[in-house]
Parts: sequence; structure tokens; C-alpha cells
Amino acid sequence: MQSIFTRKRNIIVLITPALTLLCFALLAPIFVSVYYSFTDWSGLGPYGYIGTDHYRTILFHDPVFWKSLKNAMLYLLVTVCIQHPFAFTVAVALSKLREKTSQIFRTVFFIPAILTVVVTTKLWIYIYNPNFGLLHNLFNGLGWDRLAKTAWLSDPATALGAIILMMIWQGFGWALLLYYSALMAMPKELLDAGSVDGVSGLKLYRYIVIPYLLPVINSILIIAVAATLKTMETVFLATGGGPGDITQFLANYLYQKAFVSNQFGYANAISVLFVIIAMSLALATNQISGRSNTE
Amino acid sequence: MLLQQKMINRYLNTVKKLLFYLFLTSLLVIQIFPIIWLLNFSLLRNGDLFGSHLLKIPIPPQWINYVKAWTQGNIPVYFLNSTIIVFFSVLGTVVVSFMAAYACARLYWKLSGFVFAFILLGMTVPIHTTLLPNFIWFGFFNIINTRTGVIIAYIAFGISFSTLVFSGFLRGIPRAMEESAFIDGAGLAKILFKIIAPMSQTPLVTVSIISFLTNWNEFIMANTFIASERLRTLPFSIINFEGQYSSQYAAQFAVMMLIALPPIVLFGIFNKQIMAGALAGSVKG
Repeated sequence: MQSIFTRKRNIIVLITPALTLLCFALLAPIFVSVYYSFTDWSGLGPYGYIGTDHYRTILFHDPVFWKSLKNAMLYLLVTVCIQHPFAFTVAVALSKLREKTSQIFRTVFFIPAILTVVVTTKLWIYIYNPNFGLLHNLFNGLGWDRLAKTAWLSDPATALGAIILMMIWQGFGWALLLYYSALMAMPKELLDAGSVDGVSGLKLYRYIVIPYLLPVINSILIIAVAATLKTMETVFLATGGGPGDITQFLANYLYQKAFVSNQFGYANAISVLFVIIAMSLALATNQISGRSNTE
Repeated sequence: MLLQQKMINRYLNTVKKLLFYLFLTSLLVIQIFPIIWLLNFSLLRNGDLFGSHLLKIPIPPQWINYVKAWTQGNIPVYFLNSTIIVFFSVLGTVVVSFMAAYACARLYWKLSGFVFAFILLGMTVPIHTTLLPNFIWFGFFNIINTRTGVIIAYIAFGISFSTLVFSGFLRGIPRAMEESAFIDGAGLAKILFKIIAPMSQTPLVTVSIISFLTNWNEFIMANTFIASERLRTLPFSIINFEGQYSSQYAAQFAVMMLIALPPIVLFGIFNKQIMAGALAGSVKG
């Protein structure tokens, strides 16, 4: 059937705007980045070609780059080992409630996730304030003077933990939502069969629910990996990576290199490495989730 | 004896239930307390901040904080900018993605799978890696420090997710809908806008709300691409206000509440769609 559903002109008209925008604002910049990463441009004025110097410096002589990656790893570890098991437990608890009640809980849990990171970060800066913050008042009330006087975000011992806590707090509703829907999508017969066989309580989860959900849990964890790399705004607004790069993350680091130290070429090289890391993670994601789907 | 056992059991169950709700509720309180604190202090006097209490009943509520926030914080300008930018971004995202999704999901052409995969690949590009190059790149086209530049970036970053949601829905529509319209002599534009679009209310609402929230809350691209104060968006109002009135804490809290209010109201109305949309985006993202 030669019809309007196969006509080339129609297809081109429909698809061109999307492809043009993607190429213009997502694809082209990657090439722009690659181009400038081989130069010593400061952001203004003339520049020269310097080959792969930046890449060598970053990979072999830049402790802050590796520190940023290490922080992302730590954040990931906290997400996976603390936030997710916790979210799963709460999701299980919510799945026992009536739909109406659980809906209320889930909705309220999700509120931090819909607020702009600018507001949540500023809010947490106040919570951490050592003179009148929420934590100050709390510890003051309990009579724990030392904790009350801690400047959580500028003390090198606590800064990274404080930053990670903010991000965990904001992301909790997401994790909960993902696990809850995974639980809801489980066939009820499976649970019933388990209880007929006398499997109940924790054992039911240990031997039936968790193994069944493993592929889903897998992909949720991969989403978490991607999310940890995309960390920037919180750090940018709360600590700027400080004190002394203790809370540095990749995106914030390249931003500072470009706009604070005027090393545009160098920052673009970090940006290119960042794209490569993100893309390979995404590829790994597809591999793993593709495999678990066919299993 | 048996009766006693039953009563003990019932008692134990009640205690269990109570502990269960206590656990959930206390967690809920921890999670939401910062926001309650924010609301509370936005209605107090400046000096009330310094005290050992966690919350304080605002008698009388200091609405003046909100008046200060609105007038001294220059909020009307930011609000207008956010509204303009978000309106065109949402409109653009919806239209462009809907067209692309229709072409990929419903039309017959060889490259449809490849193009669809390419569009989805956009989700793997972190916004942050495009900040620097786009700062330079947009400069070439003279769209740096304009609303247009930000709108283009917002639409581009919304396309992948929205196309995914639309195509998921469109693939489920029976073929007969279009074929009979075609036999009646309708053109593709008519089929798309008169038949398919009205059927697609659910994904249209989901995509619009999610892209509204994303763009309304977006900060780092706006921060990078816009330099003039008169073009900046709402999240900047708190940064600006804090810079100018650093000791007016209560009014700063009011500014934050004003920024957070539109998403909260929207979430109150559309929470089901928003959570469904969030889920749809993360399954593939």
C-alpha cells in the first residue's frame, strides 16, 4: 500500500526537528569539546594546539580528578548500601498497607524530589548552620555541645558526609518509588504459593521476592550509578567542592577549571573524559539489563 | 486458657501494628521535617531563628516576609522569565517529541529503529558535559545570554525522555484508527492532530508535567548560559536575595517557599501522573 504512512516527505518533516535539536545541543557540543581539549585556550583570545597534553596531565598528574571519581564512588556506595536497602524495606512496609494509605505515604516521601535543588541545597545549608541551624538547635537541646558547634559543611571531617546526606535525602523518594512499583508488579500467585508452602516473613523475601526481583533491582542499581555521576548542583551551591577539594565532584571540577581558573582547554578535556565514562556506563547498563531481560 | 491466649495474640498484633506505623511515620517526619521547618521559619521573625526550639508557633504569622521576598527579591521579573522559558520549552518538547515518536512508532521506514535508538541515546549524555562546549557553541550563534538559547537546550534535553513516553503509548493504538481515517481521505497532519493527539491525553499530560517540573527547577544550564540579571529564572531569586539581604533570614525562607510553591501545588494535583512519569523515565534512563 503506497500510502501516507510510508511517504518519505512525511517522515522527514516529522523527524527533522527532533534530530536537529539533538544534534545541535547534545551532539555538536561533544565535538566542540573534543576540539578545544587539544588546545591551551583560556576562554579568551588566541590559543594553540597542544595535542594530548591535557589528557596525560589529567590521567597521570591530577589528584583532584581522581578525588572527584573517588567521591562519586563513595556516594555510590552509600546509595547502594544504605539508601537502597532502606528504600526497599520501606517499600515492603508500604506494600502491606491499603492502597489509599500507601499512596499518601509515597506522595509525601516524594516531595523532596520535586523541589529545585537550589531550594533544597540552600535549605540544608541552613540546617547545617552552626549558629542557628536545625541541627544546632537539636544538639543544643540534647546538650551535645560539640556537635551543636560543628560547622558540618566547612569542617573537612564532615563536609563530604554532609553533602552526601543531602543528596541521599533528596533521592530517597525516587528509590522508594522504584522499589515500590517493582513490588507491586510482582505476580500475587508467587507470594501466595510461598505462604502455602509455609514460607513466611523474612524468609519469603530472602528466598522468593528478592530473587524474583533481581533483574529489576539490577537495573535500579544501574540507574543509581548513572545518577551518582550526574552530581553537581548540590556541591556547586553548598561547598564549591571545598574545603580543599574534599567534596569535589567531576562536573563541578570541570566547571571551576573553566570559569574560575580560566583553563578552558583543560576543562574541555575533563568534559570529554566525563562523556566517555558516562557513555561506557550506559553501555554497560544496556548489556547487563539486556542480559537480565533475556534470562 | 484458650481465650487468654487469643487475647494475648490480639494484643501482640496491635503492638506490632503500632510499632509498624510508628516506624513509617517517624521516617516520614524525618524526611519531611526540613520542609516543615522551612515553612515555619518563613512565617517567623528574624530573631526567632536564634533559640533552642526546633519549631515555633508563628503568632502572628509574619506574612511581611513574603511581601519583602516578593518586592525586594525582584521575584516578578524572575517569575516572568521562568514562565516564558518554561512555557516555550514545554510546548516545544511536547510537539517535537510527539512528532518524532509518531514517525518512529507508527510510520513504515527502514531507519525507524536506528533513529529511535539515536534519540534515546540522548538520555545518556549528562547535562554537565555540554555546559562548557555549549557555552562556546551557543556563542557562535549569538544565543548565549538569551532566553532562546536556554529554551533550545531545555527542549533538546527533554526530547529523549518524552519520545520514549509517547512512543510507548503510540505503539499500543490499534492500526484501524488511522487506516479508516486514511480511507476517508484524511491527510497525515489531520490524522496526527485530529485523531491521534486527542487520544493521547495521558502521555501528553505526563510529558507536559514532567517537563514543566524539570525546566522550572533547572538551575545549572540557566546559570551558565544567562548572565544578565533581567533574564534570569526563579531559582536565582534566592541567590540574589541572599547576596543583597544576607541577614534577613526569615525573608530568605519566604523566597525559598515562593520558588518551591508552584511545583508543590502541581504535585498536589497531579501526584499520580508525576510519579508515573518519573517511573517511565527511569526505567530506560
